[in-house]
Amino acid sequence: MQAHEAQQQSGVAPLAVTDGRWRMWQERVERAVLYLFLIAGSLVMALPLIWMILTSFKTFEEANAPQLVWFPADPQLTAYVEILKDADFLRAYANSVFVTALAVLGTLVSVSAVAYAFSRIEWPGRNVVFFLMLSTMMIPFQALIVPQYVFFNKAGWIGTYNPLTIPGYFAGGAAMVFLLRQFMLQLPRELDEAAFLDGASHLRIWWSIILPLCRPALATVSTFLFVGHWNALLQPIIYLQTTKLYTLPVYVASLVNPQQTTQPWPTIMAASVLTALPLLVVFFLAQRYLISGIVLSGSKG
Amino acid sequence: MLESYGYTLVWSVGTVVFIIASSVALGWIARLIVRWRGGSTIHQQNAFAGYAFAAPWIVGFVIFVLAPVVASLYWSFTVYRLPNPPQWVGVQNYVRLLTDDPNFRAALVNTFYFVLFGLPAQLVVALLLAILLNQKLHGERFFRTAFYLPVILGLNAAVLLSWVLMFNANNGFINTLLRTLSKKSTLFNLLLRAFIYVNESLNAFFLGVQSGNFTLFEKTISAFPAAHRVPLWLQSPLWTKTSIVLLLVWSCGSMMLIYLAALNSIPPEFYEAAEVDGATRWQRFWKITLPLISPATFYNLIVGMIAIIQMFEQPYVLLRDSPTVAQSSYTVVFYLWRATFRFNEIGYGAAISWILTLIILVITYFQFRLQDRWVQYDLR
Repeated sequence: MQAHEAQQQSGVAPLAVTDGRWRMWQERVERAVLYLFLIAGSLVMALPLIWMILTSFKTFEEANAPQLVWFPADPQLTAYVEILKDADFLRAYANSVFVTALAVLGTLVSVSAVAYAFSRIEWPGRNVVFFLMLSTMMIPFQALIVPQYVFFNKAGWIGTYNPLTIPGYFAGGAAMVFLLRQFMLQLPRELDEAAFLDGASHLRIWWSIILPLCRPALATVSTFLFVGHWNALLQPIIYLQTTKLYTLPVYVASLVNPQQTTQPWPTIMAASVLTALPLLVVFFLAQRYLISGIVLSGSKG
Repeated sequence: MLESYGYTLVWSVGTVVFIIASSVALGWIARLIVRWRGGSTIHQQNAFAGYAFAAPWIVGFVIFVLAPVVASLYWSFTVYRLPNPPQWVGVQNYVRLLTDDPNFRAALVNTFYFVLFGLPAQLVVALLLAILLNQKLHGERFFRTAFYLPVILGLNAAVLLSWVLMFNANNGFINTLLRTLSKKSTLFNLLLRAFIYVNESLNAFFLGVQSGNFTLFEKTISAFPAAHRVPLWLQSPLWTKTSIVLLLVWSCGSMMLIYLAALNSIPPEFYEAAEVDGATRWQRFWKITLPLISPATFYNLIVGMIAIIQMFEQPYVLLRDSPTVAQSSYTVVFYLWRATFRFNEIGYGAAISWILTLIILVITYFQFRLQDRWVQYDLR
């Protein structure tokens, strides 16, 4: 009301001042509310992780108490000591590292070679093959689980790591090829033309000119591949079949015995923390690339 | 342990040699064809290099995609139990699946439930988080990272076990929180009871559709839950699907990133012009934001739907071995795994995967057909 009268008496200026102040106030409150929402949201998102870590420091009695115990009264390291003494867990860890490293390396090299063919070389039939590759993204992978199992069974690969690693060497994952190709298309053409005139072969241009320039995209692709292989559950369950060969997710999931009401939760959660640790490290190292990579693959989809 | 590593390493080296050999062979054949057709030296060189570099994918496609697809189409018409040879039975597997398999029907109904409730919940939360992040606040990167974290961790069986702990109906984190809050506030308690009522009626209805028996539905709908009732999460078939929907919402980070990129690409002039014209916030959201991010919604819808249909880790970790509730949260892939690998029915599994493929293709086709109605690709 006052502002209205002021405006009638002396023009626009006073209104602008009160209006401006009111606006600033409103904006401040709004921002505070926004921050509250953001903080609450990230707490909810991180909750399972926080709960995992808290539980891993509790005693067996605290974790299985009929009433929820929020914080460990006296944080224990026994769960970690126990799980690190478990030979099966350590072996599962080594198995996961072995399978993941081999699969990621093989896939990365082959995927980048194929992406090079689709982006930097003009060859007859390129568009046909590329379209074929894109259309394989529509085939759900379950359509392939059953027949691949039969093939690997015939090859005597059940109970070995071959089904988890070897298919990757054949540029497994059309989405990864697509992402790298999109990135390689952005690099200037003059690069390879100059090298070509100097007599460099395609192999050389790919390895020593294009690949070093693709580091951000390669970081994204290797993070995706790492996360995928480290988390893989279905295929290890199908193909490994003996405890000796289990990878981490299969082994840690098998620690829970559904027949019992109490579980050694602190030990299980310590195993979970140790399983999640490499994921967290890789994620924080690569997150900058990762996020632009997701947007790159999504924007053209 | 070391023997199995060595075995795979030897095979890896062999595979690499095989790939290089087939690259050279494929490139060589391509060059011969181009030369025979009278192409120039440059063309011949490019044909060689192109096919040689693309060879890993081409060879892999034939071995790991084309051959399996053809083989599984054949096996889906057979009874096939390893190590016995397949026996042709015609469409028997498909008939049994569609008319006489309550487990498969349960899996289909469950998947439909997840697509119907989980997917929209994911989309709404993802958009909400993206809008929050798009307000140009300090620490945007930190919050973005926090919101994306569940995508990295969420499919790891070891991390999912933490949810098993939190979902515990008696001493789990979630129910303890709900109990504490409803003791403090009568309003919250009433809301919780309403939520329990709606959720249980809805799930009882879906269980009725699965079994063809609606007595449970009638029972839940006629009784409003008592004040001390809590959600049973993983212990009751009325709650398992809700638990999985919660997990889906928790890991909506990739959708959020896609939305965030779409929001960033809207020119600010659009909003400024609308503000000058006196449009309210709601109007701006409905008339500018939503239409302009519709391509992102479309992408999220397709990718999210396929991800839900392919879901395996969540039901496996949360409900694998409890026979009373497992059926209430089977996804199609989970059932595929059970039927094929636990009961060694290769032919039947092949039929399941073909029906699944058909469903995905048909839905994707219709989504692409219908997108002209609501997806806005051109800004100008």
